Amino acid sequence: MNIEQYNAELKGRFPQIKGIEVVNTKRLMVHIPQEALAPITDYWFNQLQYRYIIVSAMDSADGYELIYHYSDDKTGWIMNLNVLLPHDKPEIESMTPIVYGIEWIEREIMDIMGIKFLNHPLPKRFLLPESWPEGEYPYRRKIRKGDR
Amino acid sequence: MGKKTIVPIGPYHPLLEEPEFFKLYCDGEIVVDMEWETGYNHRGIEKICESKTFEQVFYVVERICGICSTSHPFAYANAVESIAGVDIPVRAKLIRSIVGELERINSHLLWVGLAGHFLGYNTVFMWAWKYREPVLDMFEIITGNRNSYAMFTIGGVRRDIDETKAAQLLKVLDDVKKKTDLLVGAVMDDPVIHARLKGVGTLTAKDIHDFGSVGPTARASGVAIDVRRDDPYAAYDMVNWKVITAQAGDVFAKAEVRLLEMYESIAIIQQCLELLKKEEPGNIKAKVKEIPPGMGLGHAEAPRGEVFHFVKSDGGNSPVRHKIRAPSYNCITTFRRSCIGGTISDAAIATAAVDPCYCCTERMVQAYDYKSGERILNAADLIRLSQQKTDALRAEMLAKGML
Repeated sequence: MNIEQYNAELKGRFPQIKGIEVVNTKRLMVHIPQEALAPITDYWFNQLQYRYIIVSAMDSADGYELIYHYSDDKTGWIMNLNVLLPHDKPEIESMTPIVYGIEWIEREIMDIMGIKFLNHPLPKRFLLPESWPEGEYPYRRKIRKGDR
Repeated sequence: MGKKTIVPIGPYHPLLEEPEFFKLYCDGEIVVDMEWETGYNHRGIEKICESKTFEQVFYVVERICGICSTSHPFAYANAVESIAGVDIPVRAKLIRSIVGELERINSHLLWVGLAGHFLGYNTVFMWAWKYREPVLDMFEIITGNRNSYAMFTIGGVRRDIDETKAAQLLKVLDDVKKKTDLLVGAVMDDPVIHARLKGVGTLTAKDIHDFGSVGPTARASGVAIDVRRDDPYAAYDMVNWKVITAQAGDVFAKAEVRLLEMYESIAIIQQCLELLKKEEPGNIKAKVKEIPPGMGLGHAEAPRGEVFHFVKSDGGNSPVRHKIRAPSYNCITTFRRSCIGGTISDAAIATAAVDPCYCCTERMVQAYDYKSGERILNAADLIRLSQQKTDALRAEMLAKGML
């Protein structure tokens, strides 16, 4: 796979893309704004038939990072979409209508990181018990810009 | 449609080995809808990993699952070594593949036994688990333990396989091959098993893509994916083997794929042992000084499918974020397609067919404030919460005059 050609084509198709980097061998990270998530997910999952792996949520100094991992099994590349959500408004559109299997991990991230997935079909507790205190998210790091 | 009945399976069900809860909505004998609940076994592994050094994480992740105790370290090693850009010695690659494939044989034998048990075919259960014993003993000889092998480390493996052990392993493999022939015969030639499993819990290739399912579950539906071939790691590109697939997508096809995969695993180990002779003994670890800042995305093919680890490093001693995706996470969700429309009795074997592993699926427990280090909810709090709940229940029952 010619990655330069691929990146140029992807950028041409989705001009909203903020940046593309090859993190290490056969691993691509595409930084995108929130609005571009649905069209690129649709393109990767439905047109290119990439396999959905999982979503990782990370609390970093600049905001909440959501990394959507997909795999192109024909070439062995792991393709990732990186979306940064501001700390004061952790909300994003649910991808469940496009990728059916993403439902569980979105519920898990709601539990542990407190990110709200808008229009999720079943936004109820997934891993934490019903008695877990409201507004307490165990995976938040509470580290902010300028902390160190 | 008439009135629907709810049939609960779980949370502690004698048939299933781990806590999970399925609510089957049934119309007569037919399952028309289902719901599930998980979280009964959540231990906080991802969070624990953030407080361990890169080296210590190996021994945490291998405890995610008793059966996949090589697959998780495998994927984690792939992730961390990709951050550090380490090239591990060939001998270590071969040993990693040998342990990985031995684990696959162990796991598939366990599943064949359990599947037989679910069907009421207990002879297969007894046989499969008996023949699994020599494999576990072999693990003890090679790694020092029947489970949780602690073989992996950053840059290689911790123990070498010398010629005596290699010879013992070859002998065990010959025996396992004969026993596999026996099990394949017991499953493939039995008309009752054909009648019971064919057309049950069928998943199409589209279902597999929708849920992102992996491993034997995907391969039984004609989706030929295998991380070992698609993104080769360790020694898998040095040996000859093939990806086993079946087309039907039903429980029978899943059994067929697993049974035939055992032959491939045996062949891989035999070739690796042959290649091991050419490598210098003792050269099993590359020196790794530090893990630089960066992201590592590693995956490995576990017996149940792809294990995925995402590791973020800031150049310090431990990962700042460690995300783990076990194969069952993307396979259990398929129950919605495989159980609905079938009968209640088919639901048990349809759910067992993906070889679900709940302890893999759930991982987390305590919360603490990053800055002050103060724990918001710890073990003592959880005990307190549990006692409060019991007290409330007692008060309620006393008020009703039930105690």
